[in-house]
Amino acid sequence: MVSIIRITLKGIFRDRVFQGIMVTACAFLLIPVVASLSMRQVSELSLTLSLSLISFILLLLAVFLGGTSLWKDIERRYTFSVLGLPISRQSYLIGRFGGTALFVLLAAAVLGIAASAVVFYTSTFYPPERPILWSTMTLCILFDALKYILLIAVAFLLSTVSTSFFLPVFGTIATFLAGGVTQQVYEYVNSQSADKLSPLVRQVATGLYYLLPNFGSFDLKVNAIYGLPLPYNGLLLTVTYFVVYTGILLSVAAAIFARREMR
Amino acid sequence: MNAIEIAGLCKQFSGKRMTKVDALKGLTLTITAGEVFGFLGPNGAGKSTTIKLVMGLLRPTSGTAMIMGVDVSQAKSRQKVGFLPENPAFYDYLSAEEYIAFVGSQFGMESVLLAQRSEEVLKCLDLWEARKRSMRGYSKGMVQRVGLAQALVHDPDVYILDEPMSGLDPIGRALVKDIILDLKKRGKCVFFSTHITDDVEKVCDRVGVINKGELLVVENVETILQRGVGGYSVLVMNPDGKKEEQFVDNADLQAFIQQSSSNHQSIEQIVPRRKDMESFFLEIVAQ
Amino acid sequence: MIRIASSGVVFLVLYVLLLPPFTSYLKNKPFVEKLGYVPTVSVLKSVASDQKELVAASLVLKVLMYFGGLMDKSDNQFVVPPDYQSMSRLLHGAVKLDPYNMDAYYFAQSFLTWDVKQFKLANDLLDYGMKYRTWDWYLPFFAGFNSAYFLHDSKKAADYYKQAGELSGSDLYKSLAGRYMQESGQTDMAIAYLSTMANGEKNPVLKRTYLTRLTAFMEVRRIEVARNRFREKCGVAPVTVAELVAAGLLSRLPVDPYGGKFYFEPDGKISTTSKFAFGVVKK
Repeated sequence: MVSIIRITLKGIFRDRVFQGIMVTACAFLLIPVVASLSMRQVSELSLTLSLSLISFILLLLAVFLGGTSLWKDIERRYTFSVLGLPISRQSYLIGRFGGTALFVLLAAAVLGIAASAVVFYTSTFYPPERPILWSTMTLCILFDALKYILLIAVAFLLSTVSTSFFLPVFGTIATFLAGGVTQQVYEYVNSQSADKLSPLVRQVATGLYYLLPNFGSFDLKVNAIYGLPLPYNGLLLTVTYFVVYTGILLSVAAAIFARREMR
Repeated sequence: MNAIEIAGLCKQFSGKRMTKVDALKGLTLTITAGEVFGFLGPNGAGKSTTIKLVMGLLRPTSGTAMIMGVDVSQAKSRQKVGFLPENPAFYDYLSAEEYIAFVGSQFGMESVLLAQRSEEVLKCLDLWEARKRSMRGYSKGMVQRVGLAQALVHDPDVYILDEPMSGLDPIGRALVKDIILDLKKRGKCVFFSTHITDDVEKVCDRVGVINKGELLVVENVETILQRGVGGYSVLVMNPDGKKEEQFVDNADLQAFIQQSSSNHQSIEQIVPRRKDMESFFLEIVAQ
Repeated sequence: MIRIASSGVVFLVLYVLLLPPFTSYLKNKPFVEKLGYVPTVSVLKSVASDQKELVAASLVLKVLMYFGGLMDKSDNQFVVPPDYQSMSRLLHGAVKLDPYNMDAYYFAQSFLTWDVKQFKLANDLLDYGMKYRTWDWYLPFFAGFNSAYFLHDSKKAADYYKQAGELSGSDLYKSLAGRYMQESGQTDMAIAYLSTMANGEKNPVLKRTYLTRLTAFMEVRRIEVARNRFREKCGVAPVTVAELVAAGLLSRLPVDPYGGKFYFEPDGKISTTSKFAFGVVKK
């Protein structure tokens, strides 16, 4: 499994994904310029823009690396040669996932350093009202990365049932969008203003709420941008949620993949 | 212990419009350790399906298959197997050397041994010069040779090769035949599929012929070649220096030779008239 | 090959010819259209997903650039009155998405009070912001000024100024609360408010608007001082500002940066024909 992870990482690097990230990361250079348009919160705005840029890049990575990893192996017939080795389908799948997840973590770390440089630069010219909490910013990026790793697990699950990349890629994007609003929908459906909704709609919405991943608690942007205190208990719960949910996704994915025919 | 044991193996694919296609119908076959077995059949006969079932890439509809006594549904059944898929493809962003190292590590090889074996197989398959280049730039024949190299590197007891000669030039084909003969000499079991009868004739101990998902016959290659012998073609030179070819039955050969010498004819050449593998194969498939 | 090259040249020429009308078309588009029809906040909230802060910031920047663009066009004078209603809508949307966004509060309250005279709306917005930005003394400072100067609610103003004083640790804001009742206190308060705003401002367009208003109030202060001395000297109140200059109490005629003329209201209060705002230049 370790060697599958290593091979996966090597593949991502050799496909010049990292160079692609670096080119996209040039947008960091524009952030101080854009942020200086702000009247009262240049540092805060540069943090907002940096964190959003990181999110955006990580989302692209999660969708495209996660959604095409298995599909590419099957499409290019690499599976015949690799699965002919004494390696179980599960460890192959987990290795592929692990490599992709590790790359996302790595990218998050590198982008985080770039973001820190940008924020440090703007904060020396425009001192923020509240001191920038670097540890909160680090945690914010880490939780962002965890969220996208969970999304990769979704992409892998969809890849195991699909023969093309359409379902994994678009299904992952849809899951990402849905996962961002499930909490709001759930709260709305269970509020008084939703009384006129039919019970069926409410049950479906509640069912989806429990089924779909909930990305709400992974978002620490506000805390990082405005230096707000972190909800430590909530974070512990979120990490547990991440482990359990990812575990479920990967178990189901592994079970399906183990039964999949390599024709 | 038998190298490969296949019992009542069936594979059904669901085709278009809810139809079922029987790709393999109740295959039972035992391949013993140390034998070279040729799996002969026309295109679409079920050779690749059989091999994919044995390698655990497909799941049988019914029946079982074991390699070295381990059921093929388990990953460890492939521990002692070198496998070459049909028209193989490998992670093309890796170089041949890196891929061989990856395969070796999957078999749990020691790094020193691995480095040594890697060099051996890469040199043997004429990939040593290209070993550092990414496989993206390899020709079809080179990829095929990488496939053989990765099947050989861990020196397994069982080799399962799907169309090992395809995509190779004549030099490559000769090389593969030499490799298989060498494996045979070292007591390894080789199970390979092909649709080229000449390959089987040259290297195999036994041959199985499959068509339309059914195993039609399993026979010793020697026996086929023997059984097919329909006498001899004898080239004799008459006393006047004129050469003449005559056909002689098996039983009559001795008498013919004696008669020839008494007729002052000299025998230039005696060639057994064999019914070769190709006609055997065509005959079986046509049935 | 030559054919491809020549067709390429033709398209390039067409592009160059197209650029000026295209750019001027976009430049002269109606302002509401420029500001954009932004969907309702609940829709935005769903679409923004985990990027609410980014969307909020982009709404604020949109308003800012729109406003800045209007100002730049004709040096401190609006060719077309800004669409304050849309600006307010967007900024209210922004703080719904990111209740911590300081730019939105800051900018919204400044034009809601001086230009649109929606003092209540401005203070409601500031109250909303104070629930989140609990450390920020600007918000109660603004609200205090609005309560005192515009709404004439001394009790509330005192509360806000007290809060601002406590958060900032500065006594100035506490003392301002009591002084608004006096006329001179009002001008002082406005000067203190405007210099605070102007000092913290980096956006050149906005800074200029504050400095302009500050200049106007400094001139008012100057007239007030001269008028008081005139009263002491002559026992009566002056009727025109020019009288003060004639009496040697004002070194030069005060200039209203908004282009108006200062005059005394019947009760003796100083006012200006410009109402401390730029007129709209008719084209």
